[in-house]
Amino acid sequence: MISKHEIEEKKKMRSACCDIFHGEDSVILKLEMPGVPKNNLDIKVDNDRLIITGRKEQRSRSGEYLSREIRQGDFYQEFTLDDTIDKNNIDATVKNGVVTLILSIKESVKPRKIEINAG
Amino acid sequence: MAITKWKKENQNDPWTELQTLQNEINDLFNVDRYPSSSGLFDRNVSPAMDVFEDEQAFNISCELPGIEQEEVEISIAANVLTIKGSKNDEKEANSGKYYRRETWSGTFQRTLSLPVSVDINKIEAELKNGILLVTIPKTEEAKPKQISVKVK
Repeated sequence: MISKHEIEEKKKMRSACCDIFHGEDSVILKLEMPGVPKNNLDIKVDNDRLIITGRKEQRSRSGEYLSREIRQGDFYQEFTLDDTIDKNNIDATVKNGVVTLILSIKESVKPRKIEINAG
Repeated sequence: MAITKWKKENQNDPWTELQTLQNEINDLFNVDRYPSSSGLFDRNVSPAMDVFEDEQAFNISCELPGIEQEEVEISIAANVLTIKGSKNDEKEANSGKYYRRETWSGTFQRTLSLPVSVDINKIEAELKNGILLVTIPKTEEAKPKQISVKVK
């Protein structure tokens, strides 16, 4: 059961802008999470779900905003991984606020060329 | 300067609550996560920007994910601050396809006119975790001062 507090917290979260590229031997996810330092990034695989959480660095300061365009809220996103993805072989890097996840495709799923032996 | 009654902006204004409500409802429909673009002939992306004022300085934060320090150009001319540059689209391998493309690329530009009371020689900028932070200190005259009054 999810508590009410948890729902309220989830509401404030939003998904990051994301590119999904399907290459020959991997699926590359690129998520833009500006303002999320490396330590506040949490990526986990739960059965067939890939859960990405990024918390923005909180700064408490006194003063006032003259303009506020950057959207509030932390990042939260879930993806479903199918059987073609090798869940033990996920590589994540973060650079300049962009998280890149490289999900390897299982060897058995990759297209294979079958050699024909001349009989 | 005449002495005026101190009044916080929007305080005791009955319309503020309605305005806040309207903003919140508008925000629900605002599903557009891309930054808007401007310019008639050269289309530039306008990244989201926060301007925060405290006692010492104006702090500007600008969302620039995936942009290297060398790719950002900050300039000042006649008290107008310009942040511009270009975000290069990484070329992926040719064999493959995109399922989803939500990130933007291309040139970006934001301009901001600064008040006269800033010290343009002491501007500092830092790019950290995809956020550009520009600190524009106020001049000594513009900073709030504490004057002690002696009671006799």
